[in-house]
Amino acid sequence: MTTTAPATTICPRSDFDVYTDSALLDPWPGYRELRDAGPLVHLDRYGMFAATRYDTVSHVLRTPEVFPSGEGVMMNDEMNQVLRGNTLCSDGEAHDASRRVIARPLTPKALRPLHDEIRAEARGLVDRLTARGSFDAAGDLAHHLPVTIVSNLVGLPEEGRERMLVWASEMFNCFGPMNERTQRSLSVLGEMMEYATTQAVPGKLKPGSWAEAVHDAAARGEVDPGKCPVMMIDYMGPSLDTTIFAISSAVWLFAENPDQWDLVRENPSLVPSAINEVLRMEAPIQDFSRSVAVDHEIDGVLLPRGSRVIAFYGAGNRDERHYPDPDRFDVTRNPTDHLGFGAGPHACVGMNLARLEMRALFEALAEKVTRFEVQHSERALHNILRGFTRLDVTVH
Amino acid sequence: MPKITYRVGGDSTTVDAAVGTSLMQLALQNAVSGIVAECGGNAMCATCHVYVEDGPVDRLADVGAAEDEMLDCTMSPREPNSRLSCQIPMTDEIDGLVVRVADEQH
Repeated sequence: MTTTAPATTICPRSDFDVYTDSALLDPWPGYRELRDAGPLVHLDRYGMFAATRYDTVSHVLRTPEVFPSGEGVMMNDEMNQVLRGNTLCSDGEAHDASRRVIARPLTPKALRPLHDEIRAEARGLVDRLTARGSFDAAGDLAHHLPVTIVSNLVGLPEEGRERMLVWASEMFNCFGPMNERTQRSLSVLGEMMEYATTQAVPGKLKPGSWAEAVHDAAARGEVDPGKCPVMMIDYMGPSLDTTIFAISSAVWLFAENPDQWDLVRENPSLVPSAINEVLRMEAPIQDFSRSVAVDHEIDGVLLPRGSRVIAFYGAGNRDERHYPDPDRFDVTRNPTDHLGFGAGPHACVGMNLARLEMRALFEALAEKVTRFEVQHSERALHNILRGFTRLDVTVH
Repeated sequence: MPKITYRVGGDSTTVDAAVGTSLMQLALQNAVSGIVAECGGNAMCATCHVYVEDGPVDRLADVGAAEDEMLDCTMSPREPNSRLSCQIPMTDEIDGLVVRVADEQH
């Protein structure tokens, strides 16, 4: 008698809680445990599957017919309802149409006229801060370009715009599972949606701004006008915090690895490669999820239709199956295929702008700063985002 | 195994391709110079620009909408045979394709 091995093996399970304070502050050991357990692991506490290996995360993100975004990319039903139909949470033609509108000012060509302004602003800021000798790299350094230049380009009405930083952060918290952190943040969402619906409207938006262009596109029939408020969220949510956190993480990594900062200073053409390495090591967005549209097998493990899988970008980026010595910060590695911006049809639409902002800052810093010394740091305790709320540094 | 030829300046490199990768990934895996691919293959940066010069050109899939918009952003001029190499999947059908890597990507 012969037997044939079953086509699928049982999915490994784990009761590890990825969203405790300690796991969020230091996710790497937990990610490693999950990666080693299998290509997919059932997280018993949340009733969802975790994808933590590079190949699995990449596959999930690049296979939208199996892993659609239209059912939401968050880990709780409330939030998946709130953002239904924005660019992030849509598929196929509807997604392509709204992404085309959102992406228009963010292509390399559209951003080219901004290069000089962003470089000059970065240089001025770095001159002012380095003259002081010490500053908060999270608040003073990282906030400046996104808050002054980018939020102006988005063009929301002045009144209420100062709340954007709070809204963006709280909104991303609500992407997590329905834990205490998510519940605390949910109340702020109402305020954000109210603003998107009643204030971010034609007549109140800055003329020529990106937000106004969304309404113009809707008026031309390129997207459903009813979607304009949730499309405002496409700009309001990710344009600030993510870049801010990436910048603070970069300063921290350079402070911790002075030899790598030396390499960048000696050869500033390494800045783009160093930025990719920062985003690989410390992805500002650690995880989004996808629903599972059909039964699907990954490396022998069956993922049932109707379930939800969380794609951990931060874990995939540290997978030794893909990156040799993944916990080592190496500015010469140039990992252009990192998952810090996601991948596939929903890859970060603002990546060119984020790169431009970071590049301008670190090229200016490379001219002025020989050493960063961290005096005091506070990490954000956040369901989804990774970075610093405070990073006091002395520069030499 | 399909073979792809990349022309870079006066040089020419022919490499064996594994089906399932893209023309961009294949170039990076084989250290073909001139392909930057800053966005990692998401049709967002226009830094993996190639000109399709020879071989089974008519077997290539059409230029998609995202690729079309990004081809308007290339540093080297866009030509009728311009493509983003990240948007060309490797198949047996394109065995023998010859592409020229654009001179300037950034």
